[in-house]
Amino acid sequence: MSTWLANAVDRGGATNDWLSPKRQQSLELLQQSRWPTRKTEAWKYTSVNMLVDATFAETSDGIFDAPELIDNLDSIDLLLVDGVLRSDIGDLPSGLSIYSIADTPIEQREWAAEVFTGAKPSKHYFGLVNDVLATAGVLIDVAEGVKVDRPIRVICRQSNGCESHTRILMRLGSNAEAVIIEDFAGEVKSFNTGFSEYIVGESATLEHYRIAMNTGEAISIGGCHFNLNYRSALNSTVVGLGSSLSRLDIDVNHIGEYATAKLNAFYLLNGSETFDLHSSIEHIAANGTSEENVRGIVADSSRAVFNGRIHIHRNAQKTLAELNNRNLLLSRNAEIYTKPELEIYADDVRCAHGATIAEIDKEALYYLQSRGMSKAQAQIMLSFGFINELVDQMPNQNLAAWLRPHLRRRFAEMESTQ
Amino acid sequence: MTEQIDQALEREYEAGFVSDIESETFAPGLDEDVIRRISAMKSEPDWMLEWRLKAFKTWQQMEEPEWAHVDYQKIDFQAISYYSAPKSMADKPKSLDEVDPELLATYEKLGIPLLEQQMLAGVAVDAVFDSVSVVTTFREKLWEAGVIFCPISEAVQEYPELVKKYLGSVVPQRDNYFAALNCAVFTDGSFVYIPKGTRCPMELSTYFRINEQNTGQFERTLIIADEGSHVSYLEGCTAPQRDENQLHAAVVELVALDDAEIKYSTVQNWYPGDENGKGGIYNFVTKRAVCHTNAKVSWTQVETGSAVTWKYPSCILRGDNSIGEFYSVALTRGMQQADTGTKMIHMGKNTRSTIISKGISAGRSNNSYRGLVRMGPRADGARNFTQCDSLLIGDQCGAHTFPYVETKNPTAIVEHEATTSKVSDDQMFLCQQRGLDAEKAVSMIVNGFCKEVFKELPMEFAVEAGKLLEISLEGSVG
Amino acid sequence: MSMLSIKNLHASVEDKTILNGLDLDIKPGEVHAIMGPNGAGKSTLGYVVSGREGYNVEQGTAVLDGVELLELDAEERARAGLFLAFQYPVEIPGVSNMEFMKASVDAQREARGEAALSSRDFLTMAKEACSKVQLPLAFLKRGVNEGFSGGEKKRNEIMQMLLLEPKLCILDESDSGLDIDALQVVADGVNSLRSDDRSFIVITHYQRLLDYIKPDFVHVLSEGKIIKTGGAELAHELEAQGYAWLTGDSAENTAETSA
Repeated sequence: MSTWLANAVDRGGATNDWLSPKRQQSLELLQQSRWPTRKTEAWKYTSVNMLVDATFAETSDGIFDAPELIDNLDSIDLLLVDGVLRSDIGDLPSGLSIYSIADTPIEQREWAAEVFTGAKPSKHYFGLVNDVLATAGVLIDVAEGVKVDRPIRVICRQSNGCESHTRILMRLGSNAEAVIIEDFAGEVKSFNTGFSEYIVGESATLEHYRIAMNTGEAISIGGCHFNLNYRSALNSTVVGLGSSLSRLDIDVNHIGEYATAKLNAFYLLNGSETFDLHSSIEHIAANGTSEENVRGIVADSSRAVFNGRIHIHRNAQKTLAELNNRNLLLSRNAEIYTKPELEIYADDVRCAHGATIAEIDKEALYYLQSRGMSKAQAQIMLSFGFINELVDQMPNQNLAAWLRPHLRRRFAEMESTQ
Repeated sequence: MTEQIDQALEREYEAGFVSDIESETFAPGLDEDVIRRISAMKSEPDWMLEWRLKAFKTWQQMEEPEWAHVDYQKIDFQAISYYSAPKSMADKPKSLDEVDPELLATYEKLGIPLLEQQMLAGVAVDAVFDSVSVVTTFREKLWEAGVIFCPISEAVQEYPELVKKYLGSVVPQRDNYFAALNCAVFTDGSFVYIPKGTRCPMELSTYFRINEQNTGQFERTLIIADEGSHVSYLEGCTAPQRDENQLHAAVVELVALDDAEIKYSTVQNWYPGDENGKGGIYNFVTKRAVCHTNAKVSWTQVETGSAVTWKYPSCILRGDNSIGEFYSVALTRGMQQADTGTKMIHMGKNTRSTIISKGISAGRSNNSYRGLVRMGPRADGARNFTQCDSLLIGDQCGAHTFPYVETKNPTAIVEHEATTSKVSDDQMFLCQQRGLDAEKAVSMIVNGFCKEVFKELPMEFAVEAGKLLEISLEGSVG
Repeated sequence: MSMLSIKNLHASVEDKTILNGLDLDIKPGEVHAIMGPNGAGKSTLGYVVSGREGYNVEQGTAVLDGVELLELDAEERARAGLFLAFQYPVEIPGVSNMEFMKASVDAQREARGEAALSSRDFLTMAKEACSKVQLPLAFLKRGVNEGFSGGEKKRNEIMQMLLLEPKLCILDESDSGLDIDALQVVADGVNSLRSDDRSFIVITHYQRLLDYIKPDFVHVLSEGKIIKTGGAELAHELEAQGYAWLTGDSAENTAETSA
């Protein structure tokens, strides 16, 4: 048993707010679960030993630099520092409502309590921890038929030595459209769990980004969980850097028929970083489609873990599901663990997955060299292209334009460690 | 379509008969004393008994694994008899003439004639009945080539140095729960040694038969291919139709020394249980090969039987340039559950592995591929290619894929692909429009689906495997 | 002084000898066509001279404008002025055509001691090259050859040639899979670069391309050697009669090798 956990459970048990009944259920589940070890399948390749006896401060009043603005994005920014909402929720476009979880008006609590643990399965150990401890976070409601034209950017930052647990709960009414950016970054010694849940209504469209850029000593364990209703659409992009421990669980539940999900994820790892991505696509209803592309470049002595599961339930006939995972391993000390899984109980479906771990394509390398580029330059260009192909696919190209220089900088660092 | 599948489930299991053979069978139960008695029955030397007892202690400390995608009632290890042998075997028959005619008739009925003059030329057979080897054919001819092919119980007596050196060298006692149990209680199985530079002059094969009720079969096979040698080995299995589940927990160890090649083929047709999942064999098997420099091991399996299969024939590619191959067809129907696949552990430079797995699920069965490809830090230039295809017949079955890929070498290349499909209406219509009936059409499509694997089987087995699939699928569609 | 001088070139792929004592001498401004049956070693010649990995030179020399090529890495050969237009250009998603070409042009300029081009200057050049080969400007933004049709890939190769202004261009079946209009575009691109200080090797199966790009010499390559050399009229003879009369094989055998 972890002393950190025992401490956290004590704190959680003492919490008394409008979500307490739900928190209590999760607390019981947590008490029945075993602390994850390398024998726990979901944590086979990533150790959480460093958390066993860890101690963090609960909050700090540290003064924070304003987060970097993203050119031309015109986003609605919500800054959470150590899990506490620091922004004023100002004027919002009509049909969009945002509340702090701590100050949720009584009339909003009923639906919000349904979203809470409504999309996130209880199997995630730290998801349960977040259920119990996340008293801060935001609640976002997009009314039926409303198209929110400005992206909503939830910016989560940690201060040195702090622990924080944040939650994002979002509901899109039928035919609604919205863009959300979950922006996690920072490298100071800290620990955050950031879990988000989305209920996407009938024929609604959600464009989602998780910037998982906690790096250095910032331990980050989080998850993004989606319920897709009839004919709804999800387009999600995960951008990952690694840290001393960085883990993300994605769950997409096709609850209604004819829902579509497109997931892209890419990560660039350096130093002794770990990035562990688990995704699970649950095709529960029929006629759904899902397409997932995951790419990683792993340098120095870093390690990448990917577990991608597609689960076709008995009634999910006519499903189309594809998953592709490609990795470039740049160094002798780096490690890649990948496990694409299919679990299929319906016969009239088309499912495929593929995974490769390889070097840079020799033919492409020769092509570039035959035009006069040096091998080193060609290698960088091809590695960047490998990732940039997914950056190009981001629906919001303003965000992509902001991201590219960050990625280039990371490439330069990775190259220098080779 | 479902209706037709149900019909298929009612088909007879052709090997389901019981032979009326008087046996000497231990009372159910497992303790140190049982192990001492097994060892005594085989007149084993002390070192062998010590080895068994050590394994038993290890097993007692282990827990039954639960990670496989299978669901079965926990085994009561005290309800199993760990030794059963035909009485007629008490005085070991010197030649075929002395073998109980009822035993010979049993194998005859299974399509495995043991009388050499009736046999397919070029195949030597070791026939294992419950806990003992009944007969091994063509031993003399093999002896002339320097090849040793005998029951492992005999090898313990005759070739103790080889057995001591290699037994447990590929699958250590504490490797897994069922392997540890096997180490403690194994009764018989085949032993093969191919000397340096020798090409084994004929196919070697072992037929396993479980006959007695409430017995477990714990066979042990050890094949050593010395430097530059070559051998092809076949294995077949059947059991009577019974309402109780029976346990088969075998261990197979292959050692391919430098430049050697071993081809190991299995057609597994243990009794699968009835349509409601009653009865059938629990097939919990550990098969592993170690490949030294330039060696090659190829596993080919056609799995159609057993209620529950848990089996991962693997290759440890220790030597540089060594090659591992795994070709598998697994067919499940009724309530069968299969969790099978392979592990390719690349340790040496320029090692290569190929995995082709074809899973066919029908009825209410579940069929899983589980595999591991590991590229170690020294495996420069290593390559793996994996292709897993699943075919679903009917909407009540399940097909699953759990591939683990681990890489620690930047020059190694791993490619994994998996697809799933069904027998499409278009394919069926085409065949039927050309005059084939539905059953023939499905069997043709399924055979086509499995072709890449069948072509790896030795000729006689390929025919047998094709027939087996056809019988298994009989009436499965309309 | 020769532009390219190949002497007694022997080369192999995976222990299989493909070039077997090839000699070729090209003067500045000349266009040489190389024809021959399948498997004769035509594409191999392009790969060996340009330095593709896996092609082993066993004997011989290849000197480009005074520089011994066979010792150099692929990029150094390119910087020395060699250009290969590929028969099957590889697709590189995620790397834009523009980025790719600017990096290539700059790498070659740097090797010559020239400053990198400004983005604006390069864009002007690239636009001009695009219009010459009739590729829409959008192709500059797309991934290298990504999703291009066969004809678009060939035109993209010529576009790169226009931008890099090499001394010696090897066109490896740049006509394969092209309709008449596309063929004209490719030929126009090549012809616009023809000058007294630039030479071409045109590898092709069909005389048709040579109606548009007039060669000074036509060589027949067979079993890794040049077995006949003539003027432009030789291509017509080959078109009419095939290669059998040269290689000594019966017509059926030739048909088989080219199948």
